[in-house]
Amino acid sequence: MTPFDFGIVSYFLVASSILGLVRVVIGPTTADRLVGINLVAAQVLALIVIAAVDQKNWAYLDVALVYDIFGFIGILAVARFFGKREEKQ
Amino acid sequence: MIAAIIAQIFISLGFIFALLGHLGVIVFPDVYTRLQASSTCATTSVISFFIAAMVDSGFSVITGKIVVISAFFIVSSPVSAHIVARYAWSRGIMPWRRRRQ
Amino acid sequence: MTPLGKWKLTRILFTILYLMAGWLLFTGSVEPVSLALGFGFSSLIALWTYGLFFEEQEAERRSLIPRVHLFLVFVLVLLFKMYVASFRVLWYIIRGRVNPEIVHFRTRLKSDTARVMLANAITMTPGTVTIDLDQDHLIVHWLEAKTTHSGYAGRLIKGSFEKLLKWIWI
Repeated sequence: MTPFDFGIVSYFLVASSILGLVRVVIGPTTADRLVGINLVAAQVLALIVIAAVDQKNWAYLDVALVYDIFGFIGILAVARFFGKREEKQ
Repeated sequence: MIAAIIAQIFISLGFIFALLGHLGVIVFPDVYTRLQASSTCATTSVISFFIAAMVDSGFSVITGKIVVISAFFIVSSPVSAHIVARYAWSRGIMPWRRRRQ
Repeated sequence: MTPLGKWKLTRILFTILYLMAGWLLFTGSVEPVSLALGFGFSSLIALWTYGLFFEEQEAERRSLIPRVHLFLVFVLVLLFKMYVASFRVLWYIIRGRVNPEIVHFRTRLKSDTARVMLANAITMTPGTVTIDLDQDHLIVHWLEAKTTHSGYAGRLIKGSFEKLLKWIWI
């Protein structure tokens, strides 16, 4: 049995993040768009880890760790920002 | 040999969860139900890909780093789902309910 | 030295310890320069944020040092339940007919860390998302609700997690 081809997985992850972006574009409220962004961030994280294992490049794993932290902080910042702005209005 | 089969099983699981999770995010009627699909299915698909990558790379430094990444992901993904839910709740978005007969 | 001063020192030391563990996980090297840099930065951050990391009123031994072996069991149980829950949500998506409800219930856990872990575990498992956590009061969105009774819903959703977390953190 041949080892699994990780190239197919990365193409699949790119396609599925495009599916997630559909929700970001059509979502009626900000919360729907946040759900879509959350989904895309998770898929891209998986893509980076798969690329690291596929190409045996360790530096990508550090990128993945930092990407995870920044995706988390980004969602927190967007929620805080929109929450504050709508309170003022 | 066995490692390759286990990696294939987990990658197939990840395919199924990712596809149907995205379908759920597009099909479901309101924010909270969409969040259910995203937080459960998408998280499980990403964890499946991580497990497959760990099994494939064997016992090395790479595996340790992937363990750290997945531990952080397990903590951060429900918290970000919680942030989105709390934001929607504080905005006063009422959850969709099935009409009772 | 007053007892309050001692407690402050203990909190600072434990914050430095946890931050150093995080530094070692991130860098993965044991060179003297890296270790010294990590120690310097973690003591700087600890002096600044020890009040956020451990609350002043939370004087419980188990909240400083959890039981690590039971925590590993908890993570394995969580992973298994995550897979079961995902298959269930897949079935709901394919069937396309859901019955969502909001349920409120309380938890008996005392430590803040344990409460946050319980909220995370609830978000991970069968079609439930924690919306709000205020002291010991949880608001949970439940896909395919079986009941709206508070106590019964709490028992169904929390399952075995609460008992495990009580062993780990009290």
